[in-house]
Amino acid sequence: MIRTTTLIFAALFLVLLVAASSCTKRGSNARLTIAAIEGVEGEALKQAAVDYEKFTGVHIDVVQFPYANLFDKELLDLNSRTGAYDLLMMDDPWFPRFAESAFLTNLMPLLQKHGKDGPDPDFVAKSVAVCRHPYQTGSLYALPYVGNSQLFFYRKDLFAKYNLKPPATWDDVLAASKAIQEKEKAPDGGKMYGYVMRAAQGNAAVADFMPIFWAFGAEMFDAQGKPTVNSPEGIAALQFMVDLGKYTPPGYVSFNASEVSAHLLQGTAAMSINWPAWISAFGDPAKSKVIGKIEFTTLPSGRKPGQAEIGNWLIAIPRSSQNADLAISFLLWATNSEQMKRSAQRGNPPTRKSLFQDPELVKQFPAYPAQLRSLETSRPRPRTSHWNEIENTFGIFLSKANSGELSPADAMNQANAEIEKILQRAGQ
Amino acid sequence: MGLLVLALLVALAPVYWMVTISLKTEIDQFARPPKWFTFTPTLEHYYDAFVTRSFSEYLLTSAIVAVVSTACALVIGTLAAYALTRFRLPYNLDRKLSLWILSTRMFPAIVTAVPLFLMMRDLRLVNTKAALIIVYTGFNLPFVVWMMRGFFAEVPRDLEEAALVDGDSRLGALVRVVLPLVTPGLAATAVFCLIVCWNEFLFALVLTQTDAAMTLPVGIAGRVTQYEIKWGVMSAAGAVAMVPILVFALAMQKYLVRGLSLGAVKG
Amino acid sequence: MPRSRRFFSAPANRRELLLPYLLVAPALAVLLALSLYPLIYSVTISLQQETASGVVWTLGHFKRLATDNFFRTAMVHTFIYAAVALAFEFLFGLILALLLNQQIRGRSLFRAGLLVPMMLPPVVVGIVWRLLLNPDFGAINGTLKWLGVNTEHLTWTASPRLALLSVIAVDVWQWTPFVFLVLLAGLQAIPQEPYEAALIDGSSRWQTFRHVTLPLLKPAILIVLLLRTMDLLRVFDQIFILTEGGPAFATEMISLYIYRAAFRFFDFGYAAAMSFVLLALTNIISVIYIKLLKE
Repeated sequence: MIRTTTLIFAALFLVLLVAASSCTKRGSNARLTIAAIEGVEGEALKQAAVDYEKFTGVHIDVVQFPYANLFDKELLDLNSRTGAYDLLMMDDPWFPRFAESAFLTNLMPLLQKHGKDGPDPDFVAKSVAVCRHPYQTGSLYALPYVGNSQLFFYRKDLFAKYNLKPPATWDDVLAASKAIQEKEKAPDGGKMYGYVMRAAQGNAAVADFMPIFWAFGAEMFDAQGKPTVNSPEGIAALQFMVDLGKYTPPGYVSFNASEVSAHLLQGTAAMSINWPAWISAFGDPAKSKVIGKIEFTTLPSGRKPGQAEIGNWLIAIPRSSQNADLAISFLLWATNSEQMKRSAQRGNPPTRKSLFQDPELVKQFPAYPAQLRSLETSRPRPRTSHWNEIENTFGIFLSKANSGELSPADAMNQANAEIEKILQRAGQ
Repeated sequence: MGLLVLALLVALAPVYWMVTISLKTEIDQFARPPKWFTFTPTLEHYYDAFVTRSFSEYLLTSAIVAVVSTACALVIGTLAAYALTRFRLPYNLDRKLSLWILSTRMFPAIVTAVPLFLMMRDLRLVNTKAALIIVYTGFNLPFVVWMMRGFFAEVPRDLEEAALVDGDSRLGALVRVVLPLVTPGLAATAVFCLIVCWNEFLFALVLTQTDAAMTLPVGIAGRVTQYEIKWGVMSAAGAVAMVPILVFALAMQKYLVRGLSLGAVKG
Repeated sequence: MPRSRRFFSAPANRRELLLPYLLVAPALAVLLALSLYPLIYSVTISLQQETASGVVWTLGHFKRLATDNFFRTAMVHTFIYAAVALAFEFLFGLILALLLNQQIRGRSLFRAGLLVPMMLPPVVVGIVWRLLLNPDFGAINGTLKWLGVNTEHLTWTASPRLALLSVIAVDVWQWTPFVFLVLLAGLQAIPQEPYEAALIDGSSRWQTFRHVTLPLLKPAILIVLLLRTMDLLRVFDQIFILTEGGPAFATEMISLYIYRAAFRFFDFGYAAAMSFVLLALTNIISVIYIKLLKE
């Protein structure tokens, strides 16, 4: 009897404790919650939050999630208006979905309250363009925080060794991959690969494929908005990716950034596309076996000049946030020149022109001029609010073609059919 | 005999490997050939997980949620199990109710995930420990009823009848006479429920949004970044996550087997 | 236990009449709220779609299911996963149970050690095996390489061909102990007399096993098969961590597909329709098992 009573009382006590702790969460006024990406970009924001607290006393909770989960969480919070997050860090392809459904706060009125009549002209134009809905011309719903735009990495030492010209076209890339893979061995005696890429289904495969797709002259949608991935150019592009796959480490069908990075750093692959956020790692003796051997250039051309894909991280304020004023203050502070410079020093490419040209930063990151060029001529992925579903589906078929399950023609045809289905459903 | 030793090795080697990863520096983690025994241990990942990051918070949340929901499920479920075992209800209701309660255990979690999220949202309970406690109680209830029914059925009613003759009430008889006899069953059931709550992932993933309410599994799964997977931190957290369950389960080993067998054999 | 011995005699007074209902009420309330209501809600939204003119009752989601290749593939994968994993778990679990049913030294040590995999959070199991199966840095390939095996194409969870087998292997590793435990308990509940009788009759070991052990073990076998099948069909956690359905959709399971439809594409109605199909299937299978059990 005593045992049961004590058990019941203990349980009740715990329940009260829990209830009390959940209640105090909503009490305090001066706090913000940010949903951020787990990784270098989110870490920089976390540091900024810590600095801000020292500066103003406002406590900021930065909650980090892996890439796919971050989207899920943000979508869920926005749709259900739970108001859990005051600021959202989002990858620019997600932006159309969030902005179109009127989930985000229009930043212009808030900027005006702070005496500004628009986003700082120092921001790179392309970065601000993705923060507007409709693209480039519409209202401003976010500010750009991380200025990622693709670069092409290659081993200049190996290119010199085999008398290869720096890769200017994708054909160059294929030829060089073949040459290097056949003749060279990896530093640890193992096999050397000419190229390495991400082809994990979903965001990874699509992000690495789009530059090839565009260079071959293909487009995802025609002028009426119908999907055209299975155009002859599109199929040729996918065929090329599969051909390039012969000179890529096996298993690349599930590679994401970590595997690509590992191969480049270990010196087992000679070329790759990717985001500049790892340039610092290449110079880090603890991680890199290829210090001083990597060169960066803009993306190779095909039928059309090479265009980098833009992949900026933006920060927006949900409509359901209870602390919009506090949020905009933090946002403006975090994206000002001084703070963004700090973030850059931590490895995040900035979104301000002046910082790309800042002598201190250029010394730390010699690729900045190339990055700025890449950013200014970059191109975003299609700005459709159904991008996530389309990317998911498209990525599956890219993966299947690369794993040999489907021929490039079949993969593109099926992908096109599925994308059509998605758009039809949405049209209802 | 040799087969058993092999099976034991297969069962334990992966766990051992994870523990070594939690104690190795990053260079050692990826060394080729893999270092099974020869490495200098470091506690940096444990420090990173529990001091720098919020894993201590996740640990506390997991513990609170598991204990409270198990306690609730035990109380509610045991009472119901007792009633369904001892009382004959009209229209065979007791049989039908037992069967219905059991069938809810068959639900795939994903079926109820969305409605429960929306329910919690409307109750403004999303991202609170309370939401998890409520959901987990619902999870564990059918299991508690099932298990305790088996244990109660083992106890002959003469003991309670004797207590009644002595002037006790029905409930008093339950508490004073029957419960002490089924303590092993209660213990086994409690351990099972604690393990289920501690390990649960899907609902914790859906119902929590910030560090304040996240449980250990969600925290561990969240350390996958685009550029690198923080193996050290995840392994450290995983190693710590294992400890309470292993301690509990190994201490309750005997009762677990009995509990499973009663549940399984009697059905 | 015969019904009459278990139950109390007729109620003595009014209060006693109400007592069982009072005792069951809290449990019923909780389950109605947390199981029945969500189920009804789920069925409701699976039959609704939002159109420009408001919410409409329609079978549209189910029609879409019929032509959804991804759904079909995910179902196929789930069933293959369940069948193969179940077969191996049962085989290994039975062998282990038979081995440990004898009096050997260190028996409780073995039992304790073998229990470990099933106690781990599935998330942790996912991490452990993701580490081990990493083609370049994992211990499995590392050890194989050291033994001289060419592991270039053994990319486990990264290989569309090997991925499904790899995740099945992980499930077998984690849940064989559960099967083993239940079967062991079942074996230990079998009395000695049938064995003694068989010995007197001069049966061989195989005959004893087939005609004495197996029939008496049948309830335990069916229960464990039922429980494992239910759990296998709704697998989510480990796949989420190990492969998230990849590579190239090779390890996509139905729960994962439903999760994605609900939380990534925000198509709650479609997710609900798929959940309903999954629920119907699990119900049918459990009914079959229970019928087999009753025989």
